[in-house]
Amino acid sequence: MKKILLVEDEQPLCLLYEEELSAEGYEVTSVHDADSALDAIKNKTFDLIITDIRMPGKNGVELIAQIMGLRKDIPIIINTAYQSYKEDFMTWAADAYVVKSSSLAELKAKVRELVKP
Amino acid sequence: MIEKYSFFFSEVQKETPRELMLLSIISQGFVQPFSLEDNLLVLLTALTSGSGVGFNRAMLFLKDGDTLRGEMWLGPRSAEEAQNVWEVLSTPGIGYVEVIEYNRSLISKSRDALSRRIRNLRYSLSGEPLFIPALPARDKDILLVKDAKNEPLVDPRFLEIIDMDDFVCIPLLARNEVLGEIILDNAFTKAPIAPQDIKLAVICGLIAGNYVYSASLHKKLVEAEKMAALGEMAVFVTHQIRNPLVTIGGFTEQLLQPDLDEEKRNRDLRIIRDETKRLEEIVYQIAHFLKVRLKEPVAFDARPVLESVIESPEIKAKVKSRGVRLNVRIAKCPPQVLCDPTYVGEVFRNILENAIEATPENGKITVLAYAKGKKVFVVSVKDAGGGISEADKTKLFTPFFTTKEKGMGLGLPFVKRVMDACGGKIEVESREGKGTRFRLLFQCQERRSPQ
Repeated sequence: MKKILLVEDEQPLCLLYEEELSAEGYEVTSVHDADSALDAIKNKTFDLIITDIRMPGKNGVELIAQIMGLRKDIPIIINTAYQSYKEDFMTWAADAYVVKSSSLAELKAKVRELVKP
Repeated sequence: MIEKYSFFFSEVQKETPRELMLLSIISQGFVQPFSLEDNLLVLLTALTSGSGVGFNRAMLFLKDGDTLRGEMWLGPRSAEEAQNVWEVLSTPGIGYVEVIEYNRSLISKSRDALSRRIRNLRYSLSGEPLFIPALPARDKDILLVKDAKNEPLVDPRFLEIIDMDDFVCIPLLARNEVLGEIILDNAFTKAPIAPQDIKLAVICGLIAGNYVYSASLHKKLVEAEKMAALGEMAVFVTHQIRNPLVTIGGFTEQLLQPDLDEEKRNRDLRIIRDETKRLEEIVYQIAHFLKVRLKEPVAFDARPVLESVIESPEIKAKVKSRGVRLNVRIAKCPPQVLCDPTYVGEVFRNILENAIEATPENGKITVLAYAKGKKVFVVSVKDAGGGISEADKTKLFTPFFTTKEKGMGLGLPFVKRVMDACGGKIEVESREGKGTRFRLLFQCQERRSPQ
């Protein structure tokens, strides 16, 4: 089963994504901040990372920069409430940019596009 | 040996040359944080006070886009009143506040007769043919008009209002741009306009032009800052609202699926309920922050207000759930503080709640309230939290800046607004890893000793 690391500080959203992506056939590990995400990447192999941008501590863009130093091969999806960051070239290092929406269709489609379950 | 001089002369000495006196009045006025209108009033007063430049009346036009429009007209209504103005101005030790107050009354007295009429005057600066007073503004010329009734270049409507044969028009310039125009006459003394007076008025005009220019830049900057703050607020509110909305929408989708077991259904409903509450709280906080209307400070005893916050069920519950200790010492007979009493409790509650949230379990929070001298009452709240970084410290009072996961960043901006409005202060001392101390410094009214 393909493994997804979800970095999201909103716990109810984590629960929602975990359930919805598990139903699609993925194994989801969620963490709530960037440092925990880096620890997880060092200790475990993931096929995809989904990260928020605004989080307590390091933000998602800083996290992506650090992930690039560790593993360049894991695809990354930015999932944020902000449309505006999409124009920021710092976010272009990610493979996809999905604005948070109550319909998870776009997120699920991007996940499938990058990693087949 | 070092001698120190002040920018401001407390007295105008009789032997000071009138040119120097005039320039000092105008330039000192511009250093003060007065409004554009007030400073222009100082200028017009200086130009029209009997012993100043010697003009009787001054009229100000400002350029607004492509139009020159009448702004104000200052001048005594009689030669006698003109003399009084200068006497007021040359009173030893007089401050600019008095000068401005005096002029305001003059403006309001003459509003019907003068200012209202001039405010109806508007001239396009691009049309042809142009008449005086638009002509000198367009061509950046200083024009002395004599025998205006027989001068076809003078606008008859303007002539009817000013009702003078001789007057001088001085454009206000800055960076070679026209910003307005001053028109001066001697309506009461009927004295001829001397070249020396024109020269001096031109210098005043140059100072005023640069002032109008910097005031217009400042206005633009304030507008730009407001827009930037609004943009930041919109981005932040979008984020704060979108997260609970996505959660509510997502779990509602799950609820619509068939064959959902009872336990999961109830859990989804609970999440939806909690997130709805959170949305309500966000909307409440924004509305509350926006609707705060501070009243004039009044004197009152802060002690019962502070005590009622400390004893409130919400604070007691927070102290208990966080497992922190409160150490409170409030002076027995504190002086009366000057503030809007409606918000003092909330100000203190904000600071105290932040301290409780920042302090780890078993940590101690110290609340002290005491008089510092006779004029200041201090409320100090010290927490045992992780402290605030130098970078965050600069943003503490910016609306929507927050380090809390679910905070809105409106608490401390609210506190600062209340403290600023009552002439008080808020101070922060913080060292990372050592905790933070907030101090609210209220202005006081001294207690009257019992007779």
